[in-house]
Amino acid sequence: MKRRQFILAAASLTAATTLPGCSSGSSSSGGGGDVTLQMVESLTNPTRSEVLKKLLAEFESANPGIKVQLVSPPTEQADQKIQQMLQAGSGADVLEVRDLTVGPFSNNGWLYDMTADVEKWDGFANLTPQAQKYSKHTDGKTYFIPYGFYGLSLFYRTDLIKEAGFSAPPTNWDELLTQASKIQDPSKNRYGYAFRGGKNGNGNVVACIEAYVGDTIDRENAFKTKDGKSIFVAPEAQQAVDTYFQLFTKASPPSSVAWGYPEMVEGFNNGSTAFLLQDPEVIATINASKSITKDQWNTAPLLTGPSGKASQPVATAGWGVAKSSKNTEAAVKLVEFLSGDASTTFAKENSLVPILKTAGADEFYKTGPWASYVTMTEQPDTYLTVVQPRGVAWWTEWSTKADNDVQQVLINKMSTAELLKSWDEFWVKKWNG
Amino acid sequence: MSVTDHHSKKKPFTIRKGLSLLGFLAPAVVVVAVFTYYPLLRGSQMAFRQWNLFDLRNTPWVGFSNFATLLSNPTFYTVLKNSVIWVVGSIVPQLLIGFGLALLLRRRFRFRGIYQALVFFPWAVSGFLIGILFRWMFNGEFGVINDLLRKTGLIETNIAWLATPKTAMFAVIVANVWYGVTFFAIMILAALQSVPEELLEAGAIDGAGKVRTLFQIVIPFIRTTLLLTVLLRVIWVFNFPEIIYGMTGGGPAQQTHIVTSWMINFTQQGDYGVASALGLIVVAVLIIFTSFYLMALKERDAR
Repeated sequence: MKRRQFILAAASLTAATTLPGCSSGSSSSGGGGDVTLQMVESLTNPTRSEVLKKLLAEFESANPGIKVQLVSPPTEQADQKIQQMLQAGSGADVLEVRDLTVGPFSNNGWLYDMTADVEKWDGFANLTPQAQKYSKHTDGKTYFIPYGFYGLSLFYRTDLIKEAGFSAPPTNWDELLTQASKIQDPSKNRYGYAFRGGKNGNGNVVACIEAYVGDTIDRENAFKTKDGKSIFVAPEAQQAVDTYFQLFTKASPPSSVAWGYPEMVEGFNNGSTAFLLQDPEVIATINASKSITKDQWNTAPLLTGPSGKASQPVATAGWGVAKSSKNTEAAVKLVEFLSGDASTTFAKENSLVPILKTAGADEFYKTGPWASYVTMTEQPDTYLTVVQPRGVAWWTEWSTKADNDVQQVLINKMSTAELLKSWDEFWVKKWNG
Repeated sequence: MSVTDHHSKKKPFTIRKGLSLLGFLAPAVVVVAVFTYYPLLRGSQMAFRQWNLFDLRNTPWVGFSNFATLLSNPTFYTVLKNSVIWVVGSIVPQLLIGFGLALLLRRRFRFRGIYQALVFFPWAVSGFLIGILFRWMFNGEFGVINDLLRKTGLIETNIAWLATPKTAMFAVIVANVWYGVTFFAIMILAALQSVPEELLEAGAIDGAGKVRTLFQIVIPFIRTTLLLTVLLRVIWVFNFPEIIYGMTGGGPAQQTHIVTSWMINFTQQGDYGVASALGLIVVAVLIIFTSFYLMALKERDAR
């Protein structure tokens, strides 16, 4: 008898430890009509999580009966973690959806379609046209509402350009090349431009090409010109890459072949590099710099091409709802809350371009390094906002390939013409399926 | 209790007995099956399917096409070559320096315990973190390595370490040597401590000098440990992409990728089919290598 009991116990123990699928991680807690939402963020950092927690506390006090639990996985693994949760169908009610993940997530049927809810929501009218546009996916449905935008501006050293004899920061790529080359002096450990040769180095090459084809670019698919061809075969593209890669040979640190985000920002932050093309979140970093003071630097609008136009390749992320959520109503409520006034606090604290129309009037965005972003929104015909095809299935494949090709050019294993040809072939092949 | 008594009590092998035996074995079998072999097989079948995270609702069987994709990619051969350079270039210096350290640490001196702990510390640090640290140290403009080399007068202008394929490969190997020396030192020190004192004394009486004692007594005595440690390290280093991923991301222009860091690239692109195919190739290569290595070992032992 005893033995049988033992075997039974062993068998049930085995089952319990080896069948993890049996335990269900329901995110709703029953008692008294209370609802607990699980919210998962992706681009996590400690300061940001603090801001979020404060906003969530406000939401909870405004909505008694709804509790929100914030899950903050480390950034590097966050999207994978979110993916696992969505795949398992539990653990996430509200989640951070990025322009890079909305494609796969919605394609796999993991995201709740908020279109009907957004139609009923008053707050939608308060969003900037850009935010409204980006809250609709290519299939016309709303899977997330952006919390802010990333966009490029030119960080520059006011003192260094003055020393070099220039009265104003560059407005186009040619001027940047001239100014950066003049400032470059490796013997003093001083460099013109914080070149991005490492991870995501292709982004700035594409931004430069998009400026040069400003007259003909298809704004809904910024990798195409209006005639339906890829931007990489446009005659201006060759001019663009030649100028761009001269920035490396004439005006950048030699080791910037391998520079990614941290090196670029550090290069500007420690005072050795005069120009940096980056997203607004860097403003907060440079404000805290110990090597350069606030009157030594500023930002200027994105550089234009010979057409006098620049194309702003917008990147974004926002809040969405998981299809598997059992508390859709509460989850949508939270997304709407975060996309209301709370979004301006969030954007300010995290150095993001805000999503509300009213935020433009805020003193914070009118002065200092933020002013160039206001300038860019005020001149939409010069600074075109364009949509890059970041949601396609092959975006990371593209990014890896393009980064690799950029480095091939930098180490003289590929010519700029070959680079453009192979980029054109890549996209045409993908577009034709 | 007599012997005959005992025999009479021994029951024949019944189904019931078989079942209870199975019951006892079950936990171990089930745990291994569920946590090791099931994921292994499940991962392996991805290699023969189109398995892209972008569209998991459509994962048809594609035969060997993932393998064909890999074999037709010129980077595959660069990556194989790099893997060999990476393994040999890392393990040889690791072994030599590790051996030297172990010999030094065998001596008794003040604070030896603390010193040993300090030497072994790197082994506890994450490989990815080490990659990021060395990436800054080897930075051409702001890195400490160029700074030291300039101050000691060994170079006049900065070397852009991570900007050219050869110097970048050298840099990642330096980082890996630094990291892996410790493991050899630990293993060899343990083995050295097992060499009997009498053997060394006998050698000394017979007039063997220090060098001869080392090569003819100590090394033959710890040979098995040495060879097995090397085998372990070959497998580990082959499967160790963290430092490369943190330091160069496989660049410049994919020239510092080894097989496993290249595999990470595919998983990041969501292409688990190709990544899994590459994983199977790694398993095959390592099984072949290990078999040959162990056969060679046996043959020498038999002599």
